[in-house]
Amino acid sequence: MRTGKRLAGAVVAAGVSLLVVSACSGGGSSDSGKSVSTSFADCATKPNDCNGGTTKKGGTLTYTIEKTIDSWNLLDSDGNTVDYAQIVDGILPSVFNGMPDLNAAMNTDLVTSVEQTSASPQTIVYKINKDAVWDDGTPITADDFVYTWQTQNGKDCKDCNAASTSGFSQMKSVTGSDNGKTVTVVYDTPFTDWKQPFGPILPAHIAKQHGDLATSWKWFGATVPNYSAGAYKISDYKKDTSVTLVPNPRWYGKVKPSLDTLVYRIITDQAQAVPALQNNEVQAIYPQPSQDIVNQVKALAPNVQYTLGKGLNWEHIDLNLKNKFLADKTLRQAIFTAVNRQAIIDKTVGQFVPGLKPLNNRNFMPGQTGYKDTVTSAGVGNGDIEKAKKLLTDAGYKGVGTALTTPAGEPVAIRMSYSTGNTLRQQTSELFQSEMQQLGIKVTVVPVSLGKVLGSGDFDVIVYAWVGTPFPFAGGVQLWTSDGGSNYGNWVNPQADALYKQAASETDVKKAADTLNQADQMLSNDFYVLPLFQKPTFLAVYANYANIRDNATNIGPSYNSNEWGLRATAK
Amino acid sequence: MLAYVIRRVFMSIPILFGSTILVFLIVKFSGDPLEGLKLRNPPPPPQTILNEERRLRLDQPLWEQYWLWLKNLVLHGDFGPSVHSNMNIGNELGDRLLVTLRLVLVSVLIALIFAVITGVVSAVKQYSVTDYSFTFLGFLFLAMPSFWFAILLKSAGIAYNQATGTQTFFTIGDKSPFLVDDSAWGNIKDIAGHMVLPTIALGLISYAAWSRFQRAAMLEVLNSDYVRLARAKGLRSRQVLVRHALRTALIPLTTVTALDIAALLGGAVITERVFQWHGLGEFLLTSIAGRDAYAMMGWLLVSAIIVIIFNLIADLMYSVLDPRIRYE
Repeated sequence: MRTGKRLAGAVVAAGVSLLVVSACSGGGSSDSGKSVSTSFADCATKPNDCNGGTTKKGGTLTYTIEKTIDSWNLLDSDGNTVDYAQIVDGILPSVFNGMPDLNAAMNTDLVTSVEQTSASPQTIVYKINKDAVWDDGTPITADDFVYTWQTQNGKDCKDCNAASTSGFSQMKSVTGSDNGKTVTVVYDTPFTDWKQPFGPILPAHIAKQHGDLATSWKWFGATVPNYSAGAYKISDYKKDTSVTLVPNPRWYGKVKPSLDTLVYRIITDQAQAVPALQNNEVQAIYPQPSQDIVNQVKALAPNVQYTLGKGLNWEHIDLNLKNKFLADKTLRQAIFTAVNRQAIIDKTVGQFVPGLKPLNNRNFMPGQTGYKDTVTSAGVGNGDIEKAKKLLTDAGYKGVGTALTTPAGEPVAIRMSYSTGNTLRQQTSELFQSEMQQLGIKVTVVPVSLGKVLGSGDFDVIVYAWVGTPFPFAGGVQLWTSDGGSNYGNWVNPQADALYKQAASETDVKKAADTLNQADQMLSNDFYVLPLFQKPTFLAVYANYANIRDNATNIGPSYNSNEWGLRATAK
Repeated sequence: MLAYVIRRVFMSIPILFGSTILVFLIVKFSGDPLEGLKLRNPPPPPQTILNEERRLRLDQPLWEQYWLWLKNLVLHGDFGPSVHSNMNIGNELGDRLLVTLRLVLVSVLIALIFAVITGVVSAVKQYSVTDYSFTFLGFLFLAMPSFWFAILLKSAGIAYNQATGTQTFFTIGDKSPFLVDDSAWGNIKDIAGHMVLPTIALGLISYAAWSRFQRAAMLEVLNSDYVRLARAKGLRSRQVLVRHALRTALIPLTTVTALDIAALLGGAVITERVFQWHGLGEFLLTSIAGRDAYAMMGWLLVSAIIVIIFNLIADLMYSVLDPRIRYE
């Protein structure tokens, strides 16, 4: 009888939810004033320790990733996704890890010291922890470093589809000594981001069992890892559905996992992550936030805690300097002066990320060592329409504010391109269009295939995103120098070129950061790329789990998965 | 009959051939499959991009890319390289077809049973409260966008779980990653818990359309002369309905069902996405997003073959249900 009543009650509850859910899911009420809940309140001041706590032994945590695993080799171009990186971090160690504060920290479980022992030639000496072993008992040695180098240096293995050769291609030699527990890397040319390589390393002794460099590299990509030198090892993989990890009994690190099982659940449609969280099928999610997702999670408080962070993805507006109108620096200055970045933020991501401010650097993110405002002094991005009009009038442009023509009398008309289907960029483009209308510039908003138009240069103005990194120096050369492969808008400034190259080949990181900022200031003054904002990240997790926190770097919140666990005391 | 089947199969080959060319060209002109790779930061080395271009045959002229695909498919059963280097398109399609089959066949079976029952009852009790109720429900389900209905069902399932303190219904996937109770009963409960919501979501939309078809067909038959004659001869009502009327009235539904099953097997796209079933529908979406030309052509082939088979089944079912039809 009682069961019957309970069941009837449940059915009624389910029925009622059918009627009310649509009203709620539209994004009705929200606690829009907060970007974090209680557990994450200290993340702004203590990003590396927030949501901490003592854990108790046992339990399972299911965490979502958004992409299926196409290759099991993280270092391969096909496997190099943020999603898979999160799993790998539990099984393959890196020498340095990207931390929540966006700086790189030495992995003291793997190495006891890493030092630059000489500036010329740049020499780095790694001392491997003597207890560090693979889960079959084989010690981690210089052989693993050598294999990782050879497969990614672009010379020894042409058929290894390395995701990046950055750093490795500049290494002259990688040698082992002290029974393989000391690794000495000598660079041909100095590499400022020397902390970047060897994240992670691959097991050379396993590779040896599977053929030459290229064959073993492909084997690593095609085979579910049955090896580990991390806190966990993979116990089960259900294709396109989940990867299950259990503690590695040979783990040599200081913090042993307290969880019995850690499951990475693949949910390819992020809109489905919140219902799964609500139904306790998963206990932690890390989707790209939208207003709907944020509001739905807020409704699950206090059982579920959340934090909106600032990611390393940053949106920007680029001008194509080969365009006949945009070749004129004054027009470029007027355009960037008229763009109101805060208004764009407020009308897009600002709807659910309170307090988000414009980004003022193209290489460093706020909080990262080296960050400095290199944009404001150029007087751009504040929506100063009157100043923009004056610039154009003074330069001899006609029809300012109505129908702009060049001093030679040609009407100014440009295209604003954004990636097809990207609502955020479409909104940004439309806001840009209305701002330009106030200057009299006719802007046509065009959805495009990003790779196609960037490669061919078939754009005038375009909005898209780059991904920042804790290792920004090498990227500067690629993105901004006149012969850099990703300088799609064709900015040419020989002085800046020299600075970018100098910054990438320094042995003094502070000096490199200053040099990079000088070059970035030049870029601001040439009005080529206007940074808009950092895209937000969003982590939601059940309150009874401790030590899970946002990490916007490429290894994601899983950077410390060995510390995750059920709270010893209820919060 | 056999000659008819063979003739139909051969007639479909040029259609298949033409459609693969069309899809190939559409995908090829829609963008660069290596766009994501090229836009990475830090960027991949040029050698990696070259290797990928070679592997995906992008360094060859369009006609040669297509010819190689066709040749390898016919001679070796090779569906061509996917954008994802470790994916074997043929195996992937096979795995996913099984997932979709499980979802579609169960939901179709349930929808069909309910559609026939309610269609017949509605027709027999035309303009009664029952008829109006079924009509209202039919149109309600027809009008409901399937993704919205799926989300409503999920919410209902979650509310039920929370109210009972159980984990009866699941909202993602077709099975749990691992089970605490790994007994046979535990597995059955787990699979059923994952199947209920997507099956209802997919089945109700089909049910709504089919019940209307069945009602209309049944009404037409019930008002025909031979049914009137059967009644006049004094046959029992049940005998008239089941043996004489229903058998004839099932013919239109047979056609519709066969065609709908074919379409659903091609990919219950929305249901699979909302409930995270990794079937053919999701495969199609992923292939489109990744501009994975050979994967899309593989999907097209499988879907087209399914459509051809089910069309054939529909035609053959005619001859079973209607003795007047004989294929030569």
